[in-house]
Amino acid sequence: MPDRDTHDLATLWFLSARAMAIAGEDMPSVQEAATGLYAQAIIGLSEEECRIAKDAQHIANKTLIDCLSGVRRLPRDLAEKILTGVMMISYSDRSMKPLEVRWASMLASAIEVSPDDFQRCCVNARIIASMLRPSEQAQ
Amino acid sequence: MSKQETNFEFLGRFDNRVAQLAKQAEEYVHTDPDSCMFKLRLMVETMAKKLTNLQMRGDISQDLGAMLGSLERAGVVPRRQADGMHAIRRDGNAAVHGSPTPVPTAMRRLREAYKISGWFCKRIKKGAKVQLDSFVPPEPPTPFNKETEALHGKIDALEESIEQRRLETRESLLMFGPQENVEEVTRRITEELKALDNVAAAAGEPMIDADFVALVMAMDLEQIEEDPRHGGDSRQARREAEKQLENIKNHLAERETAFMAERTYLLEQREPT
Repeated sequence: MPDRDTHDLATLWFLSARAMAIAGEDMPSVQEAATGLYAQAIIGLSEEECRIAKDAQHIANKTLIDCLSGVRRLPRDLAEKILTGVMMISYSDRSMKPLEVRWASMLASAIEVSPDDFQRCCVNARIIASMLRPSEQAQ
Repeated sequence: MSKQETNFEFLGRFDNRVAQLAKQAEEYVHTDPDSCMFKLRLMVETMAKKLTNLQMRGDISQDLGAMLGSLERAGVVPRRQADGMHAIRRDGNAAVHGSPTPVPTAMRRLREAYKISGWFCKRIKKGAKVQLDSFVPPEPPTPFNKETEALHGKIDALEESIEQRRLETRESLLMFGPQENVEEVTRRITEELKALDNVAAAAGEPMIDADFVALVMAMDLEQIEEDPRHGGDSRQARREAEKQLENIKNHLAERETAFMAERTYLLEQREPT
C-alpha cells in the first residue's frame, strides 16, 4: 500500500504536469499518456499511486502555489525529475506558449536549480520528447 | 428473445446500415461469434465515419483506431463510449486475424454495442428521444449444457478481469482522474497560471527568469525541429524557433508594460495626499 509521501509525490507530479499541459493550450493525447508513463518509468510511481493521486481528496484542493511549495520540499533528484518531465510535456507538441515559459520558470525557481542544471534538465526532456512522436505532426 | 426479435429495432429510424449490421451481429453471436465480431467492428467503423463526416473538419485518418482517437480528442465521443468502441475494434481485429472469439466475449461486445447505439442515435439526431430498455441476450439455438455454461462463466470472469486491468492501467496513465471535470480543472489552473504570470511580472523570479527559460526552450525546440524525423530543415527550424521566441518576448514585454502602467496609476492616485 503506498504511503503518504508517495501520494504527495504523485499528486505533485500530476499537478505540475497538468499545469504545463494546460499552459500549452491544447493537449495532444501524446502528452496525456506520456504523463503516466513518465510517472511510472522515471519517477518510479506505481499504477496505484498514479490513480490515487488523481482522487479528489488528494488533488482537488491543491493549488499551483501548494504545488510549488511541495516541489521545493522534495529531495533535489526527485524535484529535478519533475522539472524534466514537465519540460518533456512542454516539448512534446514542439511549441512554446507564454504560460508554459512562466510555469517552467516558476518551477525551476522553486526548486532553486542553477541555470546549468536547468539546461541539463531541458536537454534530457528534449531527448525524451523527441522519442514520443517521431514521425507524426502534433495534433 | 425469439429469433425475429432484436434489441436494435430502434436503430433503424436513425441509421439503416448500422441497424442492419447490429442485427446481423446479434444473429451470429451464438452460431458464429467471429462473424459477430466482424459485423460489430464494421458497425463501429460505420458509426465513426458518420460522426467524422458530421462533426469533424480537416483530413481525418481512415484508420479506425486513429479515427476514434480524433473523435475522442475532439470531444465528439466521450471516454466511456470510446472505450467500448475501442474494445470492439480490438476484438474485431483479433477475429479478422484468426484469433477465435468465445461466445461470452462476443456477447459482451454486443451488449456494449447496444449501449453505444443508444448514445449514437442521440448524437446524430439532436433532441432524439431514445429510451433504451435492458439488453436482452439472444437465446442460443440449443440450450447450453452445464459444462458449456461453466466454461462461459469462466471466460466471462476472465474478460471482466482483463477489462478491469485495462481500465486501471488507462486511468493510471491519464492526466485526469475519471471523476474529474476536466473543463473545470482547466479553467481553474488557467486562472492560477495567469495570476502567477502577473505576480512574476511584478516581482520577478529569483533565479531562473522567464527570458532565460524562453531562450533555452527556443534552442531546444530548434534542435527538435532539426531532427530529420521532424523535417530536418535547419533554416526552417531556426525561423520557427525565432518566431516562437519573439512571441514570448512580446508577451513578457506586454506584461512588463501593463505592470508599469498599473504602478504609475497607483502612484498618481497617491500624489494628492
